[in-house]
Amino acid sequence: MSRPGRSRDPLRRAVPLLEVPWRRVVGAVTLGTLALGCAVGLAAVAAWLIARASQQPPVLVLSVATVTVRAFGVGRGTLRYVERLVSHDVALRGVVSLRTTLYARLAAGRPEAVAALREGDLLARTGADADAVGDVVVRAFVPVGVAACVSLVAVAIVGALLPEAGLALLLLLLVVGVGAPWLADRAARETERRSLQARADMTAATLDVLGDDGALAVSGALGSRLDDLRRSDRELTAATDVGARTSATSEAIQTAATGLAVVVALLLGVPAVASGRLSPEDLAVVVLTPLAAFEGVGALPAAAVQLRRSRAAAARIMALLDGAAPDPAAPQPVAVTPAAPGAPVLVARALACGWPSRPDPAVTGLDLELHEGRSLAVVGPSGVGKTTLLLTLAGLLAPAGGRLERHAEASWTAEDAHLFDTTVLENLRVARGDVTEDEALEALAAVGLGPWQAALPDGLDTVVGPGGDAVSGGERRRLLIARALVSRAPVLVLDEPAEHLDPAGADALVRMVLGLTARGRTVVLATHHRGALDAADAVLTLQGVAVAAH
Amino acid sequence: MLAGVLVVAQAVLIGETLGRAVHDGARLGELGPRVAWLAAVVAARAVVSWCQERYAVRAAASTVAELREALVIRATALGPRWRGSARGTRLTTLATTGLDALEPYFVRYVPQLLLTAVVTPLLVVVVLGLDWVSGLVVIVTLPLVPLFMVLVGRLTQGVAERRLASLQRLGAQLLDLVAGLPTLRAFGRAEGPRERVRALGDANRRATMGTLRIAFLSGMVLELLTTLSVAIVAVGIGLRLVDGRMDLVTGLTVLVLAPEVYLPLRQVGAQFHASTDGIAAASAAFEVLEEPLPEHGAATVDLARARLVLDDVGVAAPGRAVLAPAHISLALGPGEAVALVGPNGAGKSTAVQVVLGLVRPTRGRAVVVPTGDRDAEPVDVGALDPEAFWAQVAWVPQRPDLGAGTVREAVLGASPSADDDARLAEAARLAALDEVVASLPGGWDTRVGRGGLGLSVGQRQRVALAAALVSRRPVVVLDEPTAHLDDASEEAVVRTVRALRDEGRTVLVVAHRPALVAACDRTVEVRSALLPQAADAPAGVPA
Repeated sequence: MSRPGRSRDPLRRAVPLLEVPWRRVVGAVTLGTLALGCAVGLAAVAAWLIARASQQPPVLVLSVATVTVRAFGVGRGTLRYVERLVSHDVALRGVVSLRTTLYARLAAGRPEAVAALREGDLLARTGADADAVGDVVVRAFVPVGVAACVSLVAVAIVGALLPEAGLALLLLLLVVGVGAPWLADRAARETERRSLQARADMTAATLDVLGDDGALAVSGALGSRLDDLRRSDRELTAATDVGARTSATSEAIQTAATGLAVVVALLLGVPAVASGRLSPEDLAVVVLTPLAAFEGVGALPAAAVQLRRSRAAAARIMALLDGAAPDPAAPQPVAVTPAAPGAPVLVARALACGWPSRPDPAVTGLDLELHEGRSLAVVGPSGVGKTTLLLTLAGLLAPAGGRLERHAEASWTAEDAHLFDTTVLENLRVARGDVTEDEALEALAAVGLGPWQAALPDGLDTVVGPGGDAVSGGERRRLLIARALVSRAPVLVLDEPAEHLDPAGADALVRMVLGLTARGRTVVLATHHRGALDAADAVLTLQGVAVAAH
Repeated sequence: MLAGVLVVAQAVLIGETLGRAVHDGARLGELGPRVAWLAAVVAARAVVSWCQERYAVRAAASTVAELREALVIRATALGPRWRGSARGTRLTTLATTGLDALEPYFVRYVPQLLLTAVVTPLLVVVVLGLDWVSGLVVIVTLPLVPLFMVLVGRLTQGVAERRLASLQRLGAQLLDLVAGLPTLRAFGRAEGPRERVRALGDANRRATMGTLRIAFLSGMVLELLTTLSVAIVAVGIGLRLVDGRMDLVTGLTVLVLAPEVYLPLRQVGAQFHASTDGIAAASAAFEVLEEPLPEHGAATVDLARARLVLDDVGVAAPGRAVLAPAHISLALGPGEAVALVGPNGAGKSTAVQVVLGLVRPTRGRAVVVPTGDRDAEPVDVGALDPEAFWAQVAWVPQRPDLGAGTVREAVLGASPSADDDARLAEAARLAALDEVVASLPGGWDTRVGRGGLGLSVGQRQRVALAAALVSRRPVVVLDEPTAHLDDASEEAVVRTVRALRDEGRTVLVVAHRPALVAACDRTVEVRSALLPQAADAPAGVPA
C-alpha cells in the first residue's frame, strides 16, 4: 500500500472517504439549479410579460407566459425543498462512510497509536470533525455547482437576446463568483490568524476565573485575571474587526455587481432597441433578468468559509489516520512465543522503549524477568515513560532497542479505559464474549465489588456508564480491573489503576490489584502512589533515562 | 431606513428608464441622466451594505465581549459553590464558546429583523401608492408567511421533538462505541463492532433525515409563499396593462419592488436558526446575570488577634442528599496549625471555603472571635467585609497559578519592603525554592507564569509556599497536593507549616500524608453524612 504524500490537500484526501455517490450530487445540483432557475425564469418571463402586455396585444398571446410565471412561482419552493433533502442525505451518508472507515482503520491500525488516543480527541474527530467534512457537500459542492449552472442559464437567456449583454453579465457574475468568496475566505483566514492567540488567552482567563475555588479571590489576583480577560477580548474584537472589513467588501461587491449588471444592460440594450436589433419587450428581459441572476453566486462566500472549515477538520482526521496507518517498514511489537515450562513470562534484556515519532527512547537499558504469578510495580514521576514501558511489555508498542520476550498474552487497561453505556455483565463481556454470570460475579468479588454488585437494582443487568447509573471513581476503577480479570490473558497490564482516588483508597486498590497474583495472574502496573508498594514482588523505579530496579 | 429609500429609488429609476425605452422608444441620450442616477444609487447601496456588515460585526463582537465580562464578574460574586454547580459548569461553556452563537444573531438576524420592521412597511406603502391592487396582494400575503411558518412549526413540533430524542440516543450509542475503541482494541475485539458502527450510523442518518423532512417544511412554505406572491403580482400587472388600466413605468417599478418587499422577511426566515441559538445563549446569560448575589457585611476584624471557629457546620452538597462536610467543629487561633483530614469528597475543601466565607454553611455557624478584647462578640463570617478579610489570608492551593512576572515578584507580591532580602532567602530555604531558583537561567529575576518560563506544579507550589512565608498575612491556608508530590517537596511543606506556626500565624491545612498531619497541633476529621430528611434542610443551597 503506497502512502499518499502528506503535502496533499487533506480535504482532497478526506472527501473520497465520504464515498460520495456523485450521481446523487449531480441530482442535487440539478434540483438546486431548477429551483434557482425558477427565480431567474420568473424574473425573465415576468419582465417579458409586462413589457409585451403594455403593447396591449390580445390576451391569448400572454396566456403561456402567465401560466409559466405561476409555475415558476410554485416550482422554486418545492424544488428547493427536494434539493435540500437530497443533498443532506448525500452528506449524511458520506459522514456514515467516513466514520465507519475511521473506525475500521483505527481498529486495524498501529496498536500503540490507538492505545495512546484520548477519548476526547477520538470523539471530536469522529463527531464534529466528520460532520464538518460531510458539510462540504451541502454547503460547498452543491452551492458551487448550482451557482455555476444558474449563472450559465441566466447568461444564456440574456446572451440569446443580446450577446454583448450576456457577456457583460457573465463577466460580472465571474467577478462576484470568484472575488466575493476569495475575499470571504481571506477575511476568515485573517480573523482566525489574528484571533487564535486572543481566543486562547480569553478561554484561559475565563476558565481560571470560573474554575477558581476561592484562591484567586482570597489572594486578590482576581483583578489581574479580569484585566487579562478584558485585554484578550479587546484583541479578539480588533481581530474580528479587521476580518469584517474584508467580509463587508465581499458583501458590497454583490450589491454593486447586481446593480451594475442592470446599468450595463440598459447602456447596451437601449441602443440595440433603437437600431432594431432587440425588440422592446426583450429589452425588459435583458435588463431585469440580472436582478435575479446573482442569487446563486451570493451563496459562494459562505461556501468558501465552509471549505476552509472542512479542510481544517479533514487535516485533523487525516493526521489521526496517518498516525494509525500500518507501516510494514516500522518495527513490529513483540508477539507471544511459547516458552519452556517454568521460564519467566516476560524477559527484557537492555530493553529500550520509546515512540517511533520521538527521537529519544523514554526508557533504555532495562533488564527484567517476570515469572508467572508475580507482580511488578513501575513507579516514577509523571512523564518519565511509565506508560511507554507498559505498552511495550503489553505487546502494543515495538521496542526501540534491546530484546524483549513475551511468553503469555497480556491485557491492557489504560488510565482512561472506557466503560460502555450498557450493563455490568456486557461491560465485562467486552474482554471475553462468553463470560458467564458466575464468572462475572467471581471477578467482581475478586476486585472487592461483591457488596456493590449485590446492592445494584438489577444486579449484573444494571446499566452503568455515561447513560446509566453513576459509578464512583473507585467503583469504576474496580470494574475495569474486573474486566481485565475475566479476559483470557494471564498477564494484566494496568496503567495508573488508582489515579484520581484519595491516598487511602488508592493504596487499597493498588494492594488489591497486586494481590491478584494469588489467583495465578501476573500483574504489571504503573502508579505514582507509593503507599502499597510493599505488596509488589518487584518495584521498578524510572528516573529520567536511568533505570533503578530493586 | 436609508437602505429602504435606496431600494425604492433604484426600483423607480429602473422602472422609468426601462418603461420609457420599451414604450416610448426613448434613446440613450434622453435616458442618460436617469442611468447616471441609477449608477449612483447602486453605488450608494453598495456603500450602505458595506457599512451594515462592517458595523454589525463590530457591534456584535463588542457586545459578546461585554456580556462575557459581565458574566464572569457575576460568577465571581456568586462564589465558588455556585461556580461548581451544574449551572456554573454550564456557564463555563457559555462564556467561552456559547456566546459565539450571538454573533450570527447580531450580524445577520437582528439587522434583518430591523429591516423587516422599517423597510417592509415603507415598501408596502410605496407599492400601495403606485398600484393599490398589487399593494393589496402584498398586504394579504405578507402576514401569511409568519402565520404559516408558525402553523407548520406547531404542527411538526411534537414529531420533531420525539425524533430529536431518538436521534440523540442513537448518537450517544454511536459515540459510546467509538469512544470505547481503544478499550476494545486492547482486548482484540475492535473488528466486530465495525458493522455496528455502520448500522448505527445508518439508523442515525435515517432519523436525521426524518427530522430534516419536517424541519425544511417551514423553509419551503416561506419560499413558496414569497415567490408565488411575486408571480401573482406580476401576472396581475400584466393583465391590467393589457386592459390599459395601468402604465408600463408603474408596472415595471412594482415588478422590481415586489421581490424586495419579501426579501427582508425571507432573510429573517433563513436566519431563524441563528436566532434560536442566539436567543438561547442570550437568555442563558441573562439568567446568570439575574441570580441573586450573596450578601456581605462590612465588619472588620484583626485576624492576628482572633480565632477562626466552625460550630457544628454542615454544607449540603449540590445535587445530592449529602452533607459534606457534616457536623464539623473546629477552632484555631494564632500559633496553631490544624490539619483537616478525611476521604475524598468528605468536604475538606468546602470546610476551608466556609472558614473563609466563600461558602455559607447550610447548618451551624462560621464565626471569627476576636481574642484581644474580653467583651468582643463573635462575628459571623458572612458579616465581614470580604476584601478586608481576605487581605489577611494567604492561600497555597494545590495547583498554584502564577501571574506574569519574575520569581521574586511572585514571592514578594506587588510591594517589596526593606528587610525583604533576608526574609526572602529564609523563606526560599524553608520552602526548598532556593534549589529551584538556582536551576533557573535568570535566578530570582527569571520571568515565570504567563509569557515566561513554565514551572512544574511542584515548583509553583514551592513559590506559593515561599510567598506565604514572606507575606505577613496572619492566616495561612494550605491545600496539600494529592498527586505528584515527591519526598523533598513533602519535607518543604512540613518545614513551612512549622515555621508559619512558630511565627504565630494561624495555619489551616488540608492534609493527605501522615508526615504533614504529624506536623500539625491538632487533627480535625472531616466526614460527610446523608441528609436525614430533605425537610430539615432549607430549600436552596446558599451560595
